[in-house]
Amino acid sequence: MGKVLLEMKHISKSFGAVRALKDVSIDLHEGEVLALMGENGAGKSTLMNILSGSLLPQEGEIYVEGQKVSVTDPVTAKKHGIAKIHQELQVVPELNVAENIFLGRWFKKKLPVVDFESMITETQKYLDMLELDVKPTQKVKDLRIGEQQLVEIAKALSLDARILVMDEPTSAISEKEAEKLFTIIRRLRSEGRGIIYITHRMEEIFKIADRLTVMRDGAYIGTVNASETDTDEIIRMMVGRDVSEQYPKDPTEKGDVAFEVKDLTYTPAPGSFRRSLKNISLKVHHGEVLGIAGLAGAGRTEFFECVAGVHAREVTGEIYIEGKPVSIRKPGDAIRAGISFATEDRKGSGLVLQRSIGENISLPLLRQFSKYFVMDLKNEGRAWEEQIEALKVKAPGSRTLASALSGGNQQKVILARWLLTKPKLLLLDEPTRGIDVGAKAEIYQLINNLAKAGMAIIVVSSELPEVIGISDRIVTFCEGELTGEFLQAEATQEKLLHSATK
Amino acid sequence: MKTDQTKVLIKKMQSVIALILIFIVASVICVQDGKNVFLDARNLMNVLRAVSENGIIAIGMTMILILGDIDLSVGSVVGLVSTGCAALMVWNGLGFIPAVLASLLIGAAFGFFNGICITKLKLQAFIVTLASMNIARGLARFWANGVGIPLTYGKGEGLAPPQFEVLQMRINGLIPVPAIIFLILLLIFHFIMTRTRFGRQLYAIGGNRQASYLAGINVDRIKLFTFMLCSMLASVAAMIHAAQISQGGPNEGSGYELNAVAACAIGGTSLAGGKGTMLGTLIGALILGMLDNVLGLKGVNSNLQLMVKGFLIIIAVFMQAERKE
Repeated sequence: MGKVLLEMKHISKSFGAVRALKDVSIDLHEGEVLALMGENGAGKSTLMNILSGSLLPQEGEIYVEGQKVSVTDPVTAKKHGIAKIHQELQVVPELNVAENIFLGRWFKKKLPVVDFESMITETQKYLDMLELDVKPTQKVKDLRIGEQQLVEIAKALSLDARILVMDEPTSAISEKEAEKLFTIIRRLRSEGRGIIYITHRMEEIFKIADRLTVMRDGAYIGTVNASETDTDEIIRMMVGRDVSEQYPKDPTEKGDVAFEVKDLTYTPAPGSFRRSLKNISLKVHHGEVLGIAGLAGAGRTEFFECVAGVHAREVTGEIYIEGKPVSIRKPGDAIRAGISFATEDRKGSGLVLQRSIGENISLPLLRQFSKYFVMDLKNEGRAWEEQIEALKVKAPGSRTLASALSGGNQQKVILARWLLTKPKLLLLDEPTRGIDVGAKAEIYQLINNLAKAGMAIIVVSSELPEVIGISDRIVTFCEGELTGEFLQAEATQEKLLHSATK
Repeated sequence: MKTDQTKVLIKKMQSVIALILIFIVASVICVQDGKNVFLDARNLMNVLRAVSENGIIAIGMTMILILGDIDLSVGSVVGLVSTGCAALMVWNGLGFIPAVLASLLIGAAFGFFNGICITKLKLQAFIVTLASMNIARGLARFWANGVGIPLTYGKGEGLAPPQFEVLQMRINGLIPVPAIIFLILLLIFHFIMTRTRFGRQLYAIGGNRQASYLAGINVDRIKLFTFMLCSMLASVAAMIHAAQISQGGPNEGSGYELNAVAACAIGGTSLAGGKGTMLGTLIGALILGMLDNVLGLKGVNSNLQLMVKGFLIIIAVFMQAERKE
């Protein structure tokens, strides 16, 4: 192991009455990938925000190569060789790739003229390194989310930092792109740099991490060598208890066909960078969980949107609910037909963050909970309490603002909302993205229970073990087409990946 | 913990606190010759009367701002409708009820035009209402040939129906009718915002348009309806205005849109949408009105008054802003 590159000692931080970090100490060596693990709300992001200068700690010290430093803002952090890739994309959509990568430090010829040529040449180097097939002059808004995340990564690489923090860098990119990223991380490691890597994906840890530090409830729990541990131990450390069965799956009684789509074709309006869909036909039975696997940008989300009535004008094809054809021209039609769609982007298209949990739950059912336009607060309040109870949403009450919840609880509020509509078909787009292990297990259990109760469910997930674990049947999408179908028993990660990359 | 809750409460109530502070300061400084000219019942009623026009417009503006939009045309709608109702009564001999209905209809039609441009043509509310602000003003001047139409009440040719004069009367010679209309409307819309489906939908759309759309809410229809309501409320203010000054003037109402936005902003409505209350807007309108009154009583130069108001808005919005630690 190389010499110590970074030490954070006895860091404490409170937000008002909430103690986000309690006396946390970590260290990072040269030429090492340190995985920082913990459930949502464990304090990982807070700790890293302190390291990168976005937050100030109330107590504690930071040492870089043995020297005590004070990181008061992101600029000082950069000076000390600390760079961070944020979990939430921080790109400027209207600027091009090169301008984004060198944001704040554009090359200058003679003030005030920007030297775009050398910026573009330099950018191309990093794009080649990541094998990213975009032009330095493309506007970032025209890139896929996955590509945008790679631009973010290129930006961090270009900082030439000694200490690189990556906060869930693979959350929006495909497995192939993730592999490229890992190759780069390994190279950075061999150059003697230190990398702190935050992720919820267990398999990534064993691929690239040397050591891992686990945090829970704002406290340091322990550090282990990646080669000397296993998933179970890590999960135990993270949740403080045993999570034995990761994917609960009870045999369900497969009923009649609940949902069928025939020849669904979607032609996006010109200029849209959504994926077009070609002749998608599939069926889901009552009590069945259908998984959709595929790379980012394969058209899985677009498929859900089409079924939920978002792009009605650009969609052809037939949809049947319990054998009866339904016409879906707008999201309201889909909801009334018994189709509920929980989107991937909880904050962007799911929750009204500055309103209460309760109001978020009854959002699609305002008509049902009102008489002559006046809300029936009693009836509605009862439904809120029931749903919060049923889904074990951890919150002080139904009037708590949705923005105050952790990712996992926000996801539960969204599920509470859509289950209240009593759907026949539930569409779940990445239902466990970015949420912690404990909440994940609860959501798996919920999916299992719903299927047992006879609901038809389609789940899109980028995590192959998850798709295989929770689905009865899995179909793969590739570039807007349905390319394969597998029963749970015969599906393996290799087969699915192969089928999704034809 | 305790102090945190107190802090939150203070933040929530700060516009009320500001109102009370201004009230106290005004009560203290406005003593002339041993008489308190501010705390005089008639003066306080004057404040209410002066506030009511802006207040009624601000009710509509609050809803528009909660949606995350803005309506710059309300001031011109005041000009258009005050001209229109005067013209219809004096020139066309319309009775009281037909004139009021026609005025509301003009407002509704105007709001419909704004709403259609915003929802169907997918243009930004700022631009659409900036344009329609000119359209309404031009129409008003064209209708009245550029001059005011005086209102003289009575029966017969060229006289306005006497019932219209009620809009500028005081009950018991003290409580102004416009203030009563304002407070009734405020209570109605407070109920609408807090207890009805429409209120919920407004907050939801302003807070997260995409989520509301996916939850089956007809976003376009709600927006269209809200713009119609906003212009109709401006029409109510326009009729009161015409009665107050006893004429329908095509140049009236200029700058009213910004006073309404100011009242909303002081009352805690966010221009980013999703946040705001009718009670906050009431407080905001009262703060503005009281300030005007006090500065007037103290004989402060009217140009200086404008400056004071401008700075006050900045301070108020700064205090409302949510800041990170």
